[in-house]
Amino acid sequence: MSDKVTITIDDCKITAPEGEKLLWVALDNDIYIPNLCALKEKDRPSASCRLCFVEVKGISDPVTACTLPVTEGLVVKTRSPEVDRLVKTAFELLITDHRLGCKKCPANNSCELQKISKERGLKYKSKRFKPFEKDEPIDESMEQFIFDRSRCVLCGRCVWVDHHVAEVGAIGFSLRGIKRKVTTFGDYDLADSPCTECGECVKVCPVGALSFNE
Amino acid sequence: MSSDKSAEKYLNLKTKAKEKMESLNEKTVVMVGAATCGKAAGVIDTREALKDEIEKKGIDAQVVEVGCMGFCYAEPIVVISKPGFPSLCYGSVDEGLAVRLVEDYLVNDDPCFEYALVALEPNDYFPVFTDFPRGVYEKKIILEQCGFIDPEDIDHYLAEDGYEALAKTFEIQPEEVIESIKESKLRGRGGAGFPAGIKWDVCSKAQDDSKYVICNADEGDPGAFMDRSILESNPHQVIEGLIISAYAVGASKGYIYVRSEYPQAVRRVETALEQAREKGLLGDSILETDFSFDIEIFEGSGAFVCGEETALINSMEGIMGVPEHRPPFPASYGFRGKPTLINNVKTLSYVPHIIRKGVEWFKSIGTSDSPGTAVFALVGKVEYTGLVEVPMGTSLRNLIYDVGGGVPDEKDFKAVQIGGPSGGCLPESALDIPIDFDSLHEAGAIMGSGGLVVLNEDDCMVEIARYFLDFTQKESCGKCTFCRLGTKHMLDMLGEITRGEGELNHLDTLRELGEDIKKGSLCGLGKTAPNPVLTTLRYFKDEYEAHIKEKRCPALMCMHLLGFYIIPERCSKFCSACVGSCPTEAIYTRDDQLKAIDQEKCVKCNSCLFACPPEFYAVEKLSPAELVEEREREQG
Amino acid sequence: MLRRNIDVFEECKNKALLKFVIMLGELNCVKEMFLLELLEGEKEFILEQVSEILKNNRTERENLVPLLQKVQGVLGYLPEPAIEKIAKTIDIPAVDVFGLATFYNQLRLNPPGKYQIKVCMGTACHMIGGQIILESFERRLDIVEGETTPDRKCSLERVACVGCCAIAPVVVVNEFIEGSLTPTRVDGILLQFDGDDQEEEAGEQEQEQESEGGQDS
Repeated sequence: MSDKVTITIDDCKITAPEGEKLLWVALDNDIYIPNLCALKEKDRPSASCRLCFVEVKGISDPVTACTLPVTEGLVVKTRSPEVDRLVKTAFELLITDHRLGCKKCPANNSCELQKISKERGLKYKSKRFKPFEKDEPIDESMEQFIFDRSRCVLCGRCVWVDHHVAEVGAIGFSLRGIKRKVTTFGDYDLADSPCTECGECVKVCPVGALSFNE
Repeated sequence: MSSDKSAEKYLNLKTKAKEKMESLNEKTVVMVGAATCGKAAGVIDTREALKDEIEKKGIDAQVVEVGCMGFCYAEPIVVISKPGFPSLCYGSVDEGLAVRLVEDYLVNDDPCFEYALVALEPNDYFPVFTDFPRGVYEKKIILEQCGFIDPEDIDHYLAEDGYEALAKTFEIQPEEVIESIKESKLRGRGGAGFPAGIKWDVCSKAQDDSKYVICNADEGDPGAFMDRSILESNPHQVIEGLIISAYAVGASKGYIYVRSEYPQAVRRVETALEQAREKGLLGDSILETDFSFDIEIFEGSGAFVCGEETALINSMEGIMGVPEHRPPFPASYGFRGKPTLINNVKTLSYVPHIIRKGVEWFKSIGTSDSPGTAVFALVGKVEYTGLVEVPMGTSLRNLIYDVGGGVPDEKDFKAVQIGGPSGGCLPESALDIPIDFDSLHEAGAIMGSGGLVVLNEDDCMVEIARYFLDFTQKESCGKCTFCRLGTKHMLDMLGEITRGEGELNHLDTLRELGEDIKKGSLCGLGKTAPNPVLTTLRYFKDEYEAHIKEKRCPALMCMHLLGFYIIPERCSKFCSACVGSCPTEAIYTRDDQLKAIDQEKCVKCNSCLFACPPEFYAVEKLSPAELVEEREREQG
Repeated sequence: MLRRNIDVFEECKNKALLKFVIMLGELNCVKEMFLLELLEGEKEFILEQVSEILKNNRTERENLVPLLQKVQGVLGYLPEPAIEKIAKTIDIPAVDVFGLATFYNQLRLNPPGKYQIKVCMGTACHMIGGQIILESFERRLDIVEGETTPDRKCSLERVACVGCCAIAPVVVVNEFIEGSLTPTRVDGILLQFDGDDQEEEAGEQEQEQESEGGQDS
């Protein structure tokens, strides 16, 4: 992977190691592409948040940047009417399933959703879709942090670091479809799980679902 | 490769099987269609009645359980082959008819033609398949033997040239096998129609010490059951195809991924695998060549999304069956991280036929871009429901009117839904398009897994779209944003429309969101989920508008927009059939002894409509629901 | 073995009933959590059964789904200690097995009713009135789809196509398929359950009497 390739993102020529995923190349070069679920350490990207769409020359439909390995001569645009439309819809969908109220949110000003909104000029309110009611109980059983599931965007970062970085296995996905959520075994409080309070999961949460107690 | 020896070994097996079948055919053989569908229709009782009666009469006849012949409308089905008579197929054989067939035909040589459906071989007494319009259009390849051979006895398959293709395969190099499949232009029958040869080629060229082949029998599409039927009726055809594919790509282990909801299919495949091993057709040194390969069954646990290749692999590895981004495709990076070739049951079923009868033969059937046949589970408002197999390129009109016998009860055809939850609804005007992957795609539907539902004037297009979306929404794995949240929003909007709470701008939102879900979703489930909605919006927008603007369901199907009304002029004082049929006691007797419905209590279950005797025909469905009040007011 | 299982199950039913009913009312969903408080001795019984299965099968992650299927095949559902035991044996986090058990339709965390009613919601059944049949059951049993009646007699589920489209609408009760249903037939099926139960009880009483009679003489 030591071979370098030259690619073009938004008319900027960039040199990057061949095979590196486009999303990281762009972010490393201060070109923002919206993302929630991506983790650099993870070999196989989960590609689940569907926000990092870009337009690639020669491919008709937008592609996700987190899954695209860079190759020599790749020409990419981070914005296009089609890309913007998909990102807007994905963002709108996520907002309808996310408990708003940024002022009270521990992640206020560090939230990835806020960042996407600012960068792409997207609103916190959807005109097209009715928001889902979100009033899941908040898990406050741990000393160091709280887990507010109503703010969770199901990016899966916490589950991955819990399993592969902390190697604890306290949380995981359960159920499926619209009911899919991050839970402990038996959906009990975190205090009743093998959680060691290492805090790795809190560090990677892009929103205010997992947050340290002040 | 010691191909001479393998050919000899095969010939030996076949000769023995043929001898056994010939001695079997000297006696009378009674075959009962005992696939799951037949069992549901009561074939077990029929079988027992036949056996009892045969024993009672002391006749030398054998009762054999076979699979599904595809005539679902005429279950339970029995085929009788009596020496000196043509083999005859009888439909709707209940216990009474079973006894009569034994008495009249087996004992007294009267074949009871009045109950026969069709004869299996040309004769002077009774018409055969090709004498019916259905037989003219149908061309059976992979369904040909289904229902006519005993799936639990490998000799039946061997006697019909089964495993000959395997023996032939061993005479040529794996590359030549792949070349044949490529040349035949066989396309994957799982839904999308990806060329099978290319997939095989990629997997074959992948360099690795171990490779896998998987048969995808995770058929979850509501309304499609051909994979189950093939596994239950002719499992060896699939096994042979899987072995050939393993030889071609160099795999040493294969899996058949079956839904656990299909217990009988699982059982029959198990038996078939065992028998194949006994005959040396599976396991170490197959047919005495140096090729070794074995197959295991993996039972799926009921998740529609596991039909998607990457999700299927995940579930086999003991993790949640959620899809992954492709590439890498399983053909290069699949089960256990190894190159894995995954093919649908039907795709694999064609393989032995192509190898045995040749590429040119296969290409002579169907169209140039989609050669071969298409298998459909023909259901809904059509006379002859069942499994049908027609050459690609047959028009939908021929399929529905000639093979299916048209729409019954003198109702008007409205639409045909092709491809289940991933497919779309096509209107009358689209009936002349030929059935092939590309034409259907262009029209907005897909071939899908082969569910084909005929809808008539009584079916509401908004409701059918809502139904399919409800299915995909429930089966969505929830991993990606578009599918998890997008389908839920679409479903909520459709729900509002069918309840009469919709707004006109919902229609644009549905279309936009549907298009975005198609483009933005991670896997095939999401990418096709909006199809039923998008096609009905395209072809039946007026129905959506009627629901929204007039709160009226033109097909009288959406319960919230309906009212039931008993027409006093038609109702009889002396009948109270409806009163007894009502599960909620909503029907009362008026002072003048006529009946009326308490709208508050009515749950709109249709019971009274069916209970009212045809001579009165007094119950009427009205939409919008307010019409009932209006009528009542008019009556005073 | 199965008989013993049913005995535990029956006993459990009576004692845990009240708690179960209360929880059902609160949560309205049987899939998501372990709702059942296990009785004394029941946990040991479950673990015994699971150990037996684990002993006779490959205990690696790849075999997890088949293992869960086998355990459910014996116990009828996947109780909490069973999942914990399996996870420990395979050496993976229990939450992963829990996730799997909640993901797949076939797997259940709570015991089904004595009569498992599965209403087919395949296309053909739906278009001809499957929803009406489902609603009839819901109305008569006073539960919604996915629930079990408080007395654990009937559980109601919807299933995708069972492949018997020609006799739609279809319902599968335990393993028996009933076709061409109407709301009146729904009442008939439920009445039949009562009849079967009474017959069973009568049979049991007879047996008891017989054994008592035997003791007397």
